Amino acid sequence: MRALAIKEGAGELYRYRELLASLTWRDVRIRYKQSMLGIGWAVLMPLSMMLVFTFVFTRAIDARSVLNVDMPYALFAYTGLVPWTFFSMGLGGCVNSLVANRNLVTKVYFPREVFPLACIGSSLVDFFIASTVLAGLMAYFHYSGTWSCALHPAIMFVPIILCVQVAMMIGLGMLLAMANLFYRDVRQVFSVVIQLWMFVSAVVVPVPQDGSTLAKVIALNPLVPIINAYRDCILYGRVPNAAGFCYAAVMAAIFLVVGWVCFRRASFKFAECI
Amino acid sequence: MGTSAVRFDRVSKRFRLGESHDSLRDLLASGFARLLGKKRHRKPYFWALRGVDFSVERGEAVGIIGPNGAGKSTVLKLLAGILCPNRGRVCVKGRLAALIEVGAGFHGDLTGRENIFLNGAVLGMPRTDIRRKLNEIVEFAGIGRFLDTPVKRYSSGMYARLGFSIAAHVDPDILLVDEVLSVGDAMFRLRCIDRMHELVRHGTTLVFVTHNLDQMQAICPRAIVLDRGKTVFAGASREAVSHYMTAMSRAYADRPTDVSAADHDRSSAVELIDVRFVNSSGKRIVWTRSSESMEVQLRFRLLNPIERLVIELNLRANASDNLLSLNSGRSGITFDRKAGEHLITLRIPSLPVCGGQYFWNVRMWDAASGTSELDTPFRFPLLVDDEGRGTGILCVDHQWDGGDVRTGEPTYSSASERSLEPTATRIADESLHLL
Repeated sequence: MRALAIKEGAGELYRYRELLASLTWRDVRIRYKQSMLGIGWAVLMPLSMMLVFTFVFTRAIDARSVLNVDMPYALFAYTGLVPWTFFSMGLGGCVNSLVANRNLVTKVYFPREVFPLACIGSSLVDFFIASTVLAGLMAYFHYSGTWSCALHPAIMFVPIILCVQVAMMIGLGMLLAMANLFYRDVRQVFSVVIQLWMFVSAVVVPVPQDGSTLAKVIALNPLVPIINAYRDCILYGRVPNAAGFCYAAVMAAIFLVVGWVCFRRASFKFAECI
Repeated sequence: MGTSAVRFDRVSKRFRLGESHDSLRDLLASGFARLLGKKRHRKPYFWALRGVDFSVERGEAVGIIGPNGAGKSTVLKLLAGILCPNRGRVCVKGRLAALIEVGAGFHGDLTGRENIFLNGAVLGMPRTDIRRKLNEIVEFAGIGRFLDTPVKRYSSGMYARLGFSIAAHVDPDILLVDEVLSVGDAMFRLRCIDRMHELVRHGTTLVFVTHNLDQMQAICPRAIVLDRGKTVFAGASREAVSHYMTAMSRAYADRPTDVSAADHDRSSAVELIDVRFVNSSGKRIVWTRSSESMEVQLRFRLLNPIERLVIELNLRANASDNLLSLNSGRSGITFDRKAGEHLITLRIPSLPVCGGQYFWNVRMWDAASGTSELDTPFRFPLLVDDEGRGTGILCVDHQWDGGDVRTGEPTYSSASERSLEPTATRIADESLHLL
């Protein structure tokens, strides 16, 4: 039954792939239209956050010893912030995706999954653009001699990590979009939760490893192994932690299946409940 | 049954009245209330459709008409798959495109060209098709120079024309159109109708929802009349129009009686209470046949006695000149009326005008002093059905005759006497609001 729902949904989505591409492209286009910097914002978002956190943790207060980061902090933060920005902006778009497209939801039929998927798609475009700056940053630190960024075959893992992250985002995004359609305050709750989430996902501060209760709880966060895996592959040149990464992959699969099945089941009510 | 493109099988659809839970706070509150054993008050339902049955054959053009609230849009949304029926089954065979709102899915910040691609994709048109038909779409919409301007800067007419143009070029198996041709000028409306004819000729099944009976009859030979969620008639368009009018009359009768007189129905001397149209059997009506007799009943109150009251009733189609002006003074009749309530009746043996919507106004004078006591706007609507006898302004009894000049043999056949095209009965949706 569940497998069937997904198979059916996937088939329908395939038929509407051009629409998905069009909507993704629309989201990208609209985000940077009538703005001065245009697509530059895709880079500026994680870059400015990186500068803020670098200032806070190395200039305002010197927390480098507490944070226990064994590389230039700016590099550490930016490598975490690029996938994190993708995650938070993508989901932030999903939360609103159905409600913001109310006139399409109530006036035209096509698989509703297209809305959250298009949001994730357009954030993925931003992700790729922001990643190019990471390459520049790595080169800078490499040639200034503060950190050796030798490319290692482990970088081949990056697409797999990205797939796991996208799968998790699709599942969560569908759940959020659907929840916000029925209860509009999901958006407010989400904006609070996502801020807290950043600090327990090894994005700008490493997660505690001291075996305390807090550390154990944080270890359940499937985003930690994902963000760490990016750093492992790109900066340290090593294969990600297998146990952690498998846990994240399994969680992503669960989110994807549960999210999609729930979404499909509820989607026939969208037009009248929106 | 095998050839039907669309089939409704005893379909019912209900909506919940009032608001459902819209925020988590409400949900929590009601959850607690339930925990504490408080009775949860269920919101009542409203049945928009009750067991609607009909089918549309492949390649057929069918109109759906009915008063406001009859369930027309719900039918279209069920067909489009936007809504799911609560009971019954909706079967659709073939690729379907629904034009439920012109330009739904347009994004104001995108240019006309970008929106064509986006909206085409929304309506299920492959990208290569859009590219191929781009010029055709642009030309049909007549937006040429503005193609690369964001649509937020478009006039509402351009916006709507572009929306229709895209949908008209989707080439679906089944096209649903909901009341969209009220936009654009007369020229554009004609082109839309041509385009729909063309699609039907090429085998597209068309389901057309409208209040414009003119357009409906021009395109659809068959129509379905919905009234309060039920099918009341399915058959030839011309007959459907009569059923529609009956449904409208009932909607009119259902409304609270005697709307309080508006300001312009009142002056320092006269207060117009009611204007009614009554048929030969004394029943109140909102529509009449041009061949039938009818009465106009004026009920009014005089605040001061008027010795020589002259009453005039004028009839107009729309903003045109008066078609008819019936003045009691010119008939040599003045009324000597005391202060108080009065009823004056005007009897008309026939109203020889073509089918459509007409408006009356009421004027009163004091012929003694020559002062105008009342002059209402043209706000009393009357629908006329001419039984398909002609277009134009007047509809008079007539007969055709002729034959071969030399032999005198008749060259006409009397069987075709009534085969004139069904006419246009122009009834705008506004008529109900005006009532």
